[in-house]
Amino acid sequence: MKKETREYNYDWMIWSIFNAGSKVLDGTQKEYESLKKVIPNFRTLLDTVLRHGEPGVLFLKMLLEYLDSLVTAKKQGKKICLGTFVTAKHIFHAFDNVVPVWAEPMTVFGTLALRRATTEYMDYCCELGFTETSCSAQRGSLGAYLAGLAEMPDFMVCGAPGICDTNANAIQFMSSYMDLPLFQLNFPAKLTEERVMDYHRKDLRAMISFIEDHAGTRINEGKLRESLEEQKHQDELCNEFYDLMRLKPCPVPPIFQLFHYGGRLTMPGKKSYTALLESMLEVARKNAAAGVAGTSTGKERSRLMMCYIEHYTTDARFWEWLDAQEISLLPALIFTFWHEGANYTMGREDETYHIDTSNMETMLDSLSDLNSRMPMVKQLRGPYDAPHMWLDDLLGLSKILKPDFLIYVGSMGCRNSWGVNKLVQRDCEREGIPMMLLFADAFDDRVASWESVAEKISEFMHVRRIVS
Amino acid sequence: MIKEMKKAANTLENQYIQKWKKSGGKVVGYSCTFIPEEIIHAAGLMPFRLRGIGTMSLSIGDSYFGPVICSFPKCMLQLAGQGTYRFLDGAIITNGCDSMRRLEECWRKASDDYPGTLPEYYEFFSVPHKAVDYSIAFYGGELRNMIETLEKHFGASISDEALRESIALYNEGRKCLQKLDGLRYSEKAPITGEDAMAILIAGHAIPREEFNGILKGIIEDLEKTASKAENKKRLMLVGSASDDLDFIRAIEEAGAIVVADTICFGSRTYSNLVDEQAAPVHALSSHYLNHSICPRMLGYYKSRLAYIMETAKKAKVDGIILQNVRFCDLHGSENGVFERDLEAAGIPCMRLEREYGPLVETGRIRMRIDAFMERIASAEVHAGE
Repeated sequence: MKKETREYNYDWMIWSIFNAGSKVLDGTQKEYESLKKVIPNFRTLLDTVLRHGEPGVLFLKMLLEYLDSLVTAKKQGKKICLGTFVTAKHIFHAFDNVVPVWAEPMTVFGTLALRRATTEYMDYCCELGFTETSCSAQRGSLGAYLAGLAEMPDFMVCGAPGICDTNANAIQFMSSYMDLPLFQLNFPAKLTEERVMDYHRKDLRAMISFIEDHAGTRINEGKLRESLEEQKHQDELCNEFYDLMRLKPCPVPPIFQLFHYGGRLTMPGKKSYTALLESMLEVARKNAAAGVAGTSTGKERSRLMMCYIEHYTTDARFWEWLDAQEISLLPALIFTFWHEGANYTMGREDETYHIDTSNMETMLDSLSDLNSRMPMVKQLRGPYDAPHMWLDDLLGLSKILKPDFLIYVGSMGCRNSWGVNKLVQRDCEREGIPMMLLFADAFDDRVASWESVAEKISEFMHVRRIVS
Repeated sequence: MIKEMKKAANTLENQYIQKWKKSGGKVVGYSCTFIPEEIIHAAGLMPFRLRGIGTMSLSIGDSYFGPVICSFPKCMLQLAGQGTYRFLDGAIITNGCDSMRRLEECWRKASDDYPGTLPEYYEFFSVPHKAVDYSIAFYGGELRNMIETLEKHFGASISDEALRESIALYNEGRKCLQKLDGLRYSEKAPITGEDAMAILIAGHAIPREEFNGILKGIIEDLEKTASKAENKKRLMLVGSASDDLDFIRAIEEAGAIVVADTICFGSRTYSNLVDEQAAPVHALSSHYLNHSICPRMLGYYKSRLAYIMETAKKAKVDGIILQNVRFCDLHGSENGVFERDLEAAGIPCMRLEREYGPLVETGRIRMRIDAFMERIASAEVHAGE
C-alpha cells in the first residue's frame, strides 16, 4: 500500500467527500462551479448525482448521515459492528450504542468516488494472505480495516453463509486475522418451508443475543418499532416506485436505482431514506404525467435490467452512460426486497414479508422474514431454477417490467453466480429475452475497463438489434 | 494390498465397484464429506465419493460452469457429461462450497445435452455452516429427508437398527484409519504419503466391509515394515480437496515424506467417532457438523488452527504445505492466516495455489517444493550453528 494511502483513514476520506458534496448546493450555482475546480476527482460524480436536483442532494445527505455515525461512533462511546450488506439493518438501528458498518456499501463509495477506486485496499487484503480470486465487493473496504485505516469494529456479523461463500469467507478472514468476535446468520436452500422459517427465527434471535452481549445493552423495543413502522411506509413508497417503472417509457432516471437500493442497504427505517424516496417519487410521477422517460432527453430507446448487480465504476459512469444512451434502467434483480404489495410479488404472496409491530415477538419474526428476503439471500440460496430462486425471480420481474435485454455483471469472486450464469442466460434466451454476460468486475475496473464494457454492451445491443 | 488400493484409487469404476454392480448392488455418488456415508450404506447401497481424476479435457465442464470456478467440480462435470459416471445409480450434491453446489444445476442441465448421464436418483442437499443446537436439529431434518428419498427411490428401508450397524462399521474403519495415522506419525513412518493417500481415497470407493478388512491387513503389514522416512523431511498437507496421487508423489520426489494431512479425502473424515449410543440420526448430524475442520464451517478458525498444530506436533513435521485449488477462496484465504500463525509458532509453511486435475504444472510445483525443502534444510543448519 502506498505511503500516501496510509495518510488518511478510508472511512474518514469517504465521509469527508460526501460531507463536502452534500453541502455544495447549499450555496449558489456559481459557488458550486467554483468549488468543482478544486475537487477534480470527485466533480464528475457530484455532477452526476446533483444534476438530479433534490433527490441527488437528499441521497448525499442520507449517506452523510450514515457515514457521520460511523466516523463519530467511537467518540460517542459506541460499538461498531462490521457486517455484510445483506443483513437487516433495523436490528442495529434499534440499539442505542451500536453503529453498523457494511462492507459492500463502503466499497461502493470508494469505487465511485476515489480516483484509483479501492484497488490499493483490495490488493492489501492479498498482501495479508486473502486470495486475489475472492470478491472485490468486500476486499475494497476490508483492506482499509485490515490496514487499521478506519474506525475499527468491535465485533462482526455475517449474513451470507449459505448464500455466498466468498462474502462469508471475507468476513471470516477478517474475524480470524484480527481476532474479532463473529456471528453468522445461516440460510438453508429453501425459503418458505415452516422448518426453514423456524430456523431463520432462531438464528435471528441468537444474533440479537450476540449483539447484546458485545454491545453490553439490550435491543430497544421502541426504537425497533419506530424503525419497522417507518419501513412499512417506505415499502409503500417503493411499491409505487415499482408500479411507475412498468410504464413505457420508464419515468425513473437510471441513477435512481442506485439511490433506491443505496438507501435501503444503509438507512432503511430512517426518516432520511423516506425523504429520499418521496423526492424520487415526485420526480418519477411528474415524468409519468408528462409521458416522458427518466433519461435526460426524456426518451427511451431501450429498457435494461441488470440480472444481478449494477456496475460501480468510478464517477458513476455506468448510470451516466445509460442516460446518454437513452436506456431506461429497471431494478437490478437482486435489489428486490419482497415486501408485500410490490407488483412483482403478485401471485407469490408466500414469498413476501409482512411487518407486524404488535409486540417484540411479532417484530422479531417480521425481521426474520425480512432478513431472509434480502438481496441475494432470497434468490441465491438454492438451485437457480428452483421455486423462488434466481430464474423464477428474473423471469417474474421481466414479465412485469418488460426489459428489452438483460446484463449480468458481478465480481470475479462470485462463484455462486458464475457457477450458473451461463445456464441463466440460456434459459432467458429461450424465453425470448436477450441476455449478455459481461466478463468484468463491478468493483474493479482492472478486470475490464469501463470503456471496454460500454463498448461490449453497445455491440451487443447492435448485434441483437435491441436499438437500431 | 497397497497396490490394490492404488488401483482402486486411480480408477473411478474400480474392480470393487464392478463386482458390487455385477452382484446387483447399487452405487450412490456424493460430492462432499458432509454427506454421511452411513445413511447410504444403511440403505444397502454403496456410497462413492465423486472425483474428477483422469480428466483430459474441460470441453463440457467449461461449457456450463463459468470461467472463475474451481477446477474440481468442473472435472467432475466433465466426467459426468462424457458418461464416465454412468455406473452411478444415484448422486447427492451438497453445498460444500459454492463451486461444488453449482455442480447440481450444471450436471442436471448438461444431461439435457448429454442424455443418460444423470443418475435416476439425483438430489441437492443443504448443510448448515455452523454447529449449534438448532443447526444440528435442522441438519438432522435434512438427513431424515435424505433417508425418505433414498427409501422411496431404492425401495429400501433404513431402520435405526441398520443405521446403528452402519455407524459401528464406519467407526471401525475410522479406528483403523486412526491407527494408520499413528503409524504415519511415528518416527519410522512405514508408508509414503502417496500410498497412504491411496488407501484413504480407496476408502471412499470400496464397499466399507471389504475396505475395513483390507485396511486391517495393511496395518498389520506396516507394523513390520521398515521406515520410509529416513533422511526425508516430514511434511504435512493442508487445504483444498486433493485426491491426486501424482501431486503427493511430486512432493515426495523432492526428498520429503507426507506424514499427515487435514484434507477432506484424508484425515478430515475420521479423526472423531460417531456416538454409537445416541439416537442414530442425531448422532450423525451432531458428528458431521461438530467435527468438521472444513473452512466452510464459518467462525471456527481457532479450533482448526489448534487441530493443525496438534497434528503437526504429533507427526513431528518439518513443514506444512498449505495448498488450495485456484478459486477455492475458503481454503486459500484461511491458508493465509494459517501461514501467519504457524510461522509465528516456528513451523515453516509454504502456500501453494494450483489447479485440480492432471498435473499440467508439475514443473512449477516441483520448483516451489524444492525451494521449500531448501528453506527447511537451511533453517535446520542455522539452528545447529
